[in-house]
Amino acid sequence: MSAAQIRFATLWRREVNRFMKIKKQTLGAPLLETFLYISVFGAALGSRIDMLHGIDYVVFVIPGLIMMAWSTNAFSNNSSSILQQKFQGAIQDQLSSPASPAELLLAFSLGGFMRGLIVAVLTFIASALLVDLPVDHVLVLIPSLFLVGFFFSQLGVLIGVRAEQFDDVAFAQTFVLTPLIFLGGVFYSAALLPQPYETLTHFNPIYYMINLVRYGFVGYTEVSIALSLLALTAATAALFLINLRLFSKGYRLRA
Amino acid sequence: MKALDIKDLEKRYPTGVEALRGVSLEVEEGELFGLLGPNGAGKSTLIHCTTGLAQPTGGSIAVFGHDAIDNYAEARQAVGLAPQEANIDWFLTAEETLDYHAGYFGMPRRERRERTKELLETFSLTEKRHERTRTLSGGMKRRLILARAVMHRPRLLILDEPTAGVDVELRLELWHYVQKINQEGTTILLTTHYLEEAEQLCDRIAFIAEGQIVAEGTSDELARRFQVPNLEDAYLALVGRKELSRSHIELEPEVSS
Repeated sequence: MSAAQIRFATLWRREVNRFMKIKKQTLGAPLLETFLYISVFGAALGSRIDMLHGIDYVVFVIPGLIMMAWSTNAFSNNSSSILQQKFQGAIQDQLSSPASPAELLLAFSLGGFMRGLIVAVLTFIASALLVDLPVDHVLVLIPSLFLVGFFFSQLGVLIGVRAEQFDDVAFAQTFVLTPLIFLGGVFYSAALLPQPYETLTHFNPIYYMINLVRYGFVGYTEVSIALSLLALTAATAALFLINLRLFSKGYRLRA
Repeated sequence: MKALDIKDLEKRYPTGVEALRGVSLEVEEGELFGLLGPNGAGKSTLIHCTTGLAQPTGGSIAVFGHDAIDNYAEARQAVGLAPQEANIDWFLTAEETLDYHAGYFGMPRRERRERTKELLETFSLTEKRHERTRTLSGGMKRRLILARAVMHRPRLLILDEPTAGVDVELRLELWHYVQKINQEGTTILLTTHYLEEAEQLCDRIAFIAEGQIVAEGTSDELARRFQVPNLEDAYLALVGRKELSRSHIELEPEVSS
């Protein structure tokens, strides 16, 4: 391995090691949360709703839960990891190393990406054991999930870099991210909403992400898959470039 | 060769505070160089600019000929920093702290393992190697910070008040280690508030005040320059507190009740 490869692997390993050391909180809690959602919305509510657009309600909900698990874990891992290291001053060790802004950004991003991936995969395995979960369009599903994971990793980095106190991260998660995810159609179909809620849902970017993942699993969508994939790719790339600029300028990282 | 070559360095913070106002400084390879000055004089800012933790607003810094901005990777590879604050990660153990640091500097795994073992032994941290850093005592944290700074074998070691708040025994231990690696060829830039530390350890010393280097030379040269008997009095003259001189106090008659 070259020095640059060792450096990047170490930066990434440090991020993964951080959440693995507190896995009850970083992996166990989100898994329990997802299990509870499946129990409440799938088993309890599902026994009354039965089918939605010809799909078993539990099966309709699970793709959104997998997407939600990946996105919220990627976001919260990166935002809190960066803020915590800024708070302790420990980030100075990475910042004063020969690592480039791109290496630092990618390593921080991939930490959350990995945590989201682990929780999402475990959710998928647990769901597949409980219900018959199809994977209709794997070529849409995999890029969609990876883009969603990377988008929220970048968002977590952005919030972590900008944040000056833990309240800033909590605010973004509680008052922005969670409502957008819940109102994006994880547990319902926007097509069944009355106006103006149906139209309003179309302004929620997470609605398109949920549709992409749901289409990948069960083949049902309310939006254009090609356009949504294109928009998500563009948004992820834009966020990455914004973060790269912040890291290059040392915004709120270097004095 | 110059280990550190700083020219007209300026740092103005977004708040408008001018921390460095045209600092120029040269440290020769193999030197043990002291940087003294009162709190807020610009010592830490100068160190942060050299190590990439702060971005200069003017001037240039070269570390062993590598520009610290344009060739930051080569410049930072040559520098080890032991900062004033205990900036260690609470989640990591002492062993991981050293291992990760060396990884950031591209050191291969086997070499990292051997170097970690060697430094844990040198700094009497072997027994604590698996303990999370937040459980270490203040003295142990200080040892770990110095071990981390030398982990990747830097050619220039920057010590920002390394002995602040440590007991006499540890201070002497750290002095011995610093002198040893200096004799082995590591260039050292030391900031300290302990003047006897600077006097005993440093080949040359610079005084910094209000973001500018105001005097530079050996301890004796600085004393002569300020027309006082020793470095401490030279420093007191610099900060305008000559009345605190020990010789001045000793000469004053005792006040009887």
